[in-house]
Amino acid sequence: MSLKIAIIGCGKIADAHVEEIRKIPSASLVAVCDLEPIMAEQLATRFAVPLWYNDFARMLDEQKPDVVHITTPPDSHLALVRQALAAGCHVFLEKPVAPRAAEVRAILDASSSANRQLTVNYWPNFEVHAIALRQLIASGELGEIVHLESYYGYDLAGEYGMALRRDPNHWVHRLPGKLFQNVLDHMLNKIVPYLADDDPILDAVAYCGAPLAERLQTNPLLDELRIVLQGANSSAYATFSAHARPIGHRLRVYGTRNTATADFQLRTVTMDRKQTFPSALGRLAPPFLLAKDSLRQGIRNMNHFAHARFHYFHGMHHLLAEFYTGIETNAPPPIPYGEILRVATWMDRIFQQVYPEVPA
Amino acid sequence: MKVLVTGAGGFLGVHVVERLLAHGYCDLRCFLRDPSREDALRRIQEKSAAKIEFVYGNLRSRNDCARAVQDVSLVVHLAAGLKGSPAELFADSVISSRNLLEALEARSAPPIQDTRVVLVSSFGVYGVVPLGRRARVNEETPLEAHPELRDPYSFTKLRQEQLIREHSQRAGFELVVLRPGVIYGPGGGAMSNRVGLQIGPIFAHLGGTNRLPLSYVQNCAEAIVVAGTHPHAAGQVYNVHDDDLPTASSYLHQYKKQVRRIRSVRIPYWLALQMASMLESYHRWSKGQLPAVLTRYKVAAAWAGNVFDNSKLHGLGWRPLVSTPDGLAETFRSLRGSDAKR
Repeated sequence: MSLKIAIIGCGKIADAHVEEIRKIPSASLVAVCDLEPIMAEQLATRFAVPLWYNDFARMLDEQKPDVVHITTPPDSHLALVRQALAAGCHVFLEKPVAPRAAEVRAILDASSSANRQLTVNYWPNFEVHAIALRQLIASGELGEIVHLESYYGYDLAGEYGMALRRDPNHWVHRLPGKLFQNVLDHMLNKIVPYLADDDPILDAVAYCGAPLAERLQTNPLLDELRIVLQGANSSAYATFSAHARPIGHRLRVYGTRNTATADFQLRTVTMDRKQTFPSALGRLAPPFLLAKDSLRQGIRNMNHFAHARFHYFHGMHHLLAEFYTGIETNAPPPIPYGEILRVATWMDRIFQQVYPEVPA
Repeated sequence: MKVLVTGAGGFLGVHVVERLLAHGYCDLRCFLRDPSREDALRRIQEKSAAKIEFVYGNLRSRNDCARAVQDVSLVVHLAAGLKGSPAELFADSVISSRNLLEALEARSAPPIQDTRVVLVSSFGVYGVVPLGRRARVNEETPLEAHPELRDPYSFTKLRQEQLIREHSQRAGFELVVLRPGVIYGPGGGAMSNRVGLQIGPIFAHLGGTNRLPLSYVQNCAEAIVVAGTHPHAAGQVYNVHDDDLPTASSYLHQYKKQVRRIRSVRIPYWLALQMASMLESYHRWSKGQLPAVLTRYKVAAAWAGNVFDNSKLHGLGWRPLVSTPDGLAETFRSLRGSDAKR
């Protein structure tokens, strides 16, 4: 029996949800909903979705979906999650989960109390290379983790960046962490599984990296962020940059035995090689071994491409498949709630330091 | 009469303001999203004794729309989404238009029946695919029946036009619709999709011998003002393009000669259809691994060589202010300064 899926929120990320839902044979998208009826209509028309609504309660009542995807701005999430859970639905939630950790906790508690499953669209962590890195770490190949570096580059001139720069009323500007909050999930959720401390030492600094002329002309956002985390057994840096080029998205994991880098743009995992021969001779081999690693990854990616497994949101496909299967088999959700909450708690602390004027 | 120009800071908007002043409309309100775009308008203001008011905001905000429409009798609605995701384009054109019209309908004066809205739409709204190759397109040509098969811009402009027409019929304001072809000029883009598509380092020249429905930005602005203020234009639609149009290949040839060399490959219509067919099949099989930028429907809509008709606009007394050779020369001169540096 196929799961009945519905979407609330018909903005730009909803396109990706529709496309990925439709690739899952055990799921059927029955309706979409938006407070703006014309937005709901446009999504339904472009993707031939059978029904559209501008009343969430009515959609839940008439369609009785098994799963609701919530792709609205984060300040609406708590109320919508509660409404969906009350209607007996499982919830797939777009990040950021909520503006503050207290609301994230309320969302997770509500899901547990209702005995319904919930997960968050941490899709890059479900890419094939990200799964390979997790397996590498679990196998002990890297040894004990000493340090992690999570890097996220952002294009303010891109589709998403322009949307919020053009519109002073964009929901991103209402978030306590503004631009950073819309992407920090993707930086911190890679660190959280390996820095298990609930309350690590955390220092964050932010500044505007735009040229002086631009800063004088407009009232630009803070767009460069550096975070240092120190737990009991390991540490991490997280870097957000809107100005460094090329735009990157990486996780580097330093272990007691080896160091590995997952590149989320290129979809590769490479290992740093140590010198096995002494002196100048020893420095000759490692670049070739690194090149061999890259070649192997490139061939693997070509193989994925040849088998049509190299879509931009392929990680979302994996995540959705795992989430839907978990609902059908009553398995735990793909992302532990403790990790989701820890990301939110760290974000609260970062924004207190970066935007001290925003009330907690 | 107070005139509101939305999108006044844009490529076309500045010229529309200039033409409104030239036609004696001296009480203008310019609505801009980006304050940094006001410089050109300020320069126009300095040269004239006109009263130009600047209002900054976003038409997605109902409050900003309410500020924009106070006391205006003529609305020249140019603002539209040009870039971004399909949902963003849609919100910038359709939601914004809905907000603007609801603000017009909600205000107390002047009465809505004494208000005129001039919409700048697009050739993209025509349903040209069933017409076949080289078909003539005039204002009576049916609108697109399958907007979901077209590009997001055409999809959006069609819905915008439908929405404004519905509001006009319901609220009773006068509506004039202008549908320009390819608006060009200094400060605009160099290559319309009707000439071809840049694919990596190669320019795929798909337009061939098709006539390019060019509209020099000043001529287009003049058409908007002539039709937008003409007493007999209420409820009418006008195609907007210039006379003596070049072919796509002649445009590309002149660009290469006068601006910069680019590597291009001529792709005839039949081959474009074949390639689109293959891409569509691959897109379907791979479930969207490569985007269906070309489909047979899109190829037929953009490169079937439709001939557009501007005789209705001429009938209102519109004449191009700048000839096509002069417009092209001026545009290429300007592009030499920007594109040639690449």
